[in-house]
Amino acid sequence: MRLLWRFRRLPLTIRVPATVALLMVVISAIVSERVLDRLATTQGNYLQGLAYAYLDGIVASIIPSVLREDNWEVFDAVARMTPKSSPLRPVETVVTGKSGLVIASSDPLVRQTLSVLDPGFESLFSDGRVFIDESAGQGYARRAIAYQGQTIGQVHAVFDVSPLLEERRQVLVTLLLTNGMVTLSLGLIGFWAVGRMIRPMQVLETHMAEASAGSARLINESEYSGANREAMRMFAAFNGLVRSEAERQALTVRLAEEERLASLGRLASAMAHEINNPLGGLMNAVDTLRAHGDKRQVRAGSIDLIQRGLQGIREVVQATLATYRSEPLNRPLTGQDFIDLKLLMRPEMRRRQQSMDCRVAAMPDGAPKWPAGPVRQAVLNLLLNAAAVTPKGGRVGLAVRPEEGGLMVEISDQGDGMPETAKILLTGCRTGDLPVEGDGLGLWIVRQIADELEGTIAVSSGSPAHTVVRLFIPAPGPDKSLSRMEISHAA
Amino acid sequence: MVAAGLVIPAAGKTAETLRFGLTPVFLANDLELLDALRRYLSGATGHAVELISRRTYQEVTALLVSGQLDAAWICGYPYVKYRSQLDLVAIPQWNGKPLYQSYLIVSADREAQSLDDLKGDIHAFSDPDSNSGYLVTRTLLFERGLDPDLFFRKSIFTYEHRNVIRAVASGLAQSGSVDGYVWEVMREIEPDLVIRTRALRKSEWLGFPPIATSKSLARTPRIKALTGAFLSMKDDSGGRDVLDMLRLTGFVAGDDAIFDGIAAKVSLLRSVL
Repeated sequence: MRLLWRFRRLPLTIRVPATVALLMVVISAIVSERVLDRLATTQGNYLQGLAYAYLDGIVASIIPSVLREDNWEVFDAVARMTPKSSPLRPVETVVTGKSGLVIASSDPLVRQTLSVLDPGFESLFSDGRVFIDESAGQGYARRAIAYQGQTIGQVHAVFDVSPLLEERRQVLVTLLLTNGMVTLSLGLIGFWAVGRMIRPMQVLETHMAEASAGSARLINESEYSGANREAMRMFAAFNGLVRSEAERQALTVRLAEEERLASLGRLASAMAHEINNPLGGLMNAVDTLRAHGDKRQVRAGSIDLIQRGLQGIREVVQATLATYRSEPLNRPLTGQDFIDLKLLMRPEMRRRQQSMDCRVAAMPDGAPKWPAGPVRQAVLNLLLNAAAVTPKGGRVGLAVRPEEGGLMVEISDQGDGMPETAKILLTGCRTGDLPVEGDGLGLWIVRQIADELEGTIAVSSGSPAHTVVRLFIPAPGPDKSLSRMEISHAA
Repeated sequence: MVAAGLVIPAAGKTAETLRFGLTPVFLANDLELLDALRRYLSGATGHAVELISRRTYQEVTALLVSGQLDAAWICGYPYVKYRSQLDLVAIPQWNGKPLYQSYLIVSADREAQSLDDLKGDIHAFSDPDSNSGYLVTRTLLFERGLDPDLFFRKSIFTYEHRNVIRAVASGLAQSGSVDGYVWEVMREIEPDLVIRTRALRKSEWLGFPPIATSKSLARTPRIKALTGAFLSMKDDSGGRDVLDMLRLTGFVAGDDAIFDGIAAKVSLLRSVL
């Protein structure tokens, strides 16, 4: 297991070729085993054929002698029929009669004439099959001597099979050497070839790792060297993916900008409405002054009316300027930003006859430097969303307070509860795709900003008419510089 | 030995062809020897010669007695048995004498000292019509009142003296009865085989297997020519080659008295054979 664990830790460039080489060794071993098994079977059949040809020859020539129990004729026949140049050399032949006594053997000093055959010797023989004792290098075959349907004796032959066993051993050695060399060669070639084949995968792996770290870059032409058509297609697909992602990023920025402009349009509309209302009074006051300006009481009342009207217009203009002033928005967040948002929301809320409960706690000295632009954009979008779902005459809440490790912003409304799709958009495990037709775009941007700031969003619906969105923004790490917040520019 | 039924053909078989029978009384397994013998006899007699071999003495003797052979080299025992129908042509001389012995042989490493030690053996005889390969040992047992079928565990016949030596040397048989001339000559030719045996007992000197003819043909010119050919063999270079291969010194004219020893054994065993 430890070895397997270590193997798994090896680089792919070693693991894959090593696995290929190992498989070749296994295949080689299986092939060798099959070849040897087949050779053993072939040799066995060959041996059996030769052995029975020899025994059949002996039997055919000695039947009359066995019937007469003519020891000499049987002995002479066995001696004459012993092959001198056959690959299968009989080392001992014993002929027994019907009674089981030895009629003659090739070596009567070992198997004496008319003696009972040694049971140990006889047990080495089996009918119908040559028994091979590899340790002794001998084969044992027996044939019955049949005459007129009766068995009148048996011929036992012991063969020297050491040449066949030696041949098998040589085949084994040759096979092992050849397979070993071929396997080694092919393993090395495989090691090199597979390493070369998977090199594009390494390039792809490197680029994908970079992409997952947030810095995707195109695969250069120089990295295409050695890549085959398939790898080049993968590279091209990856490059296409990188380009698509870049375009998506650009689109996101553009959409955020458009959303900002759309917000601006809505606010401008509300602001125009806010300005238009006092303008009617102002115009009336001016007409009154023109007609009755000589009357002191009328003049004072008109001027007072004009002053209140202009003051209302100034508040609207100040709030708009506070939000869209030209100063860089990647400055650190302050409590004033939330006051600005309240001012900014005022015309919209007035139009909807709504009111806002705003509780902004003071930022302590040395508070973390959150980027003002993205936070303002996110909170503004949530406030606009809350105002949109809260019925006429309802209340929208904004509570900001520093908490341990970050800043908590709570936006509450009195709507009918947040739709499930909107909840998923805000709190899903991953940032969803860009909303179709801009529906929910504001919340999608909130989620994007929260992800950028590594913040978390929670949505709670305590009662059907009270939804609270909690945006927790952690203290920015040292590597999160304000300038990297691209979304902030869009806001 | 010549395989049973083997015929060494002459140049042409005519009415003048001399048909000569062979038994395993001598080293008849040497084709070179047979060819030299046929060539010499043809040249010396002026007749084409056909050498005819049979496996057993009995077959050759039957052909000879029935007149189907002009002459044959047979054993002294069948000659004595059919003495009334046969005439001697010539008798071989071994070491200058027309005599030989029968040997009782055992394996070289066996400690047997006499015939008595061979009780219970598988005994190899050459041929039931052989003097040295059967009759001598049979007589010996008879003289001691022993029945070979009871004394020996089993008697086997190998139908060739060389085979008796092989049977004993290999251990197939524990003892054997063999022609002493064949055993001695083979000790030179096949020492590796013969050295595995030893002569336990040698018989008295007996008449060497003769060349015989039927009485009806004995006085024909062909037999006379054949007799002359054998008697003058040592005077001819081709004949000497044959004699050298046979390890014989020559042939002498037939003397019937040489076979009296064999005749005495036959007479002794007449009641049991």
